[in-house]
Amino acid sequence: MKIRVTISILLAIWCIGFFFEWLIPLNEKLLTLLPFLHQTYSLVCHQEKVKLITSNRFESLVCSRCAGIYIGLLAGSFLSIFKIPHKNPNIKVLLVCIVIMLMDIAAYSVGIYHYSKLVAFITGFLLGSVAFSYFYNGLIQLLIEIRKPRSN
Amino acid sequence: MCGFSAGVLQVVPLVKSFSCCLLLPLSAFIALILEQKSTNDFDIISAKKAVMIGLFTGLFAAFFGSCFEILITFITKQNDIIITFPELQKMVEKFPVTEDIKKEVLYLFQNVRNDILDKGFSWMYTFSLIVNDFFIDILFGITGGLIGSQIINRRINNSKYN
Repeated sequence: MKIRVTISILLAIWCIGFFFEWLIPLNEKLLTLLPFLHQTYSLVCHQEKVKLITSNRFESLVCSRCAGIYIGLLAGSFLSIFKIPHKNPNIKVLLVCIVIMLMDIAAYSVGIYHYSKLVAFITGFLLGSVAFSYFYNGLIQLLIEIRKPRSN
Repeated sequence: MCGFSAGVLQVVPLVKSFSCCLLLPLSAFIALILEQKSTNDFDIISAKKAVMIGLFTGLFAAFFGSCFEILITFITKQNDIIITFPELQKMVEKFPVTEDIKKEVLYLFQNVRNDILDKGFSWMYTFSLIVNDFFIDILFGITGGLIGSQIINRRINNSKYN
């Protein structure tokens, strides 16, 4: 339980980070941190202006798809507090989510339809929420291996 | 090799516009597959090993990414800070904060910008770049390693029981 709550808190901090612009009106000194955070998130997202989540003059620091992935991970971690993720998640579900996301990227890249922030967000969200159980199981396995006494 | 590739992809102009949050985890995943092939050991991957491979992928990506970025900035005296400075000014202006804070932020970045334009190097920029690169790349590398090992192990288990 403790580890799942900790993961949720860390993921929530990460997600609040890319919606940082919305927090600046609450404390204007936060503005000094914005360029630094902008650089941090630029390492994990192209930050193309047209693909950012915008509202009330403010923009997210990652694109809709990346935001979807992270919020999906966060949603997965929240759910895990109430229900422990399956030990052996079905790999086909993960593959389907990856294929859906790749199909969306391919479809707007070749011009079948225009880029949609909502579609990008949803495809990212699906992948993130499914990927969480893999991350969680990997982490649990790691903790088990660390705690296990070494056999000679 | 995967860490080096990820580091390069994060820096090269144009190519880096395709970079995504999946780049580093994917590099760690590929590193796990390559490690299996190079050692000819297709057994279950332990989480410790996955973390180590992810960690080294992240470390290499951060090291090469930072080095190339610093080198390119030094040679060309151009980087994202210079290019996006007018945008930063506009961005700062839109916030409902006092003029003093706006001036403070812009003054800070004006100094960094001037250093880069004059010498091709800024201590503050280099420091924040290295801290960011190492923290983020290692974090994402380890995450990719953990998720990747679970996917590979699932595949191995499936093929064993089918």
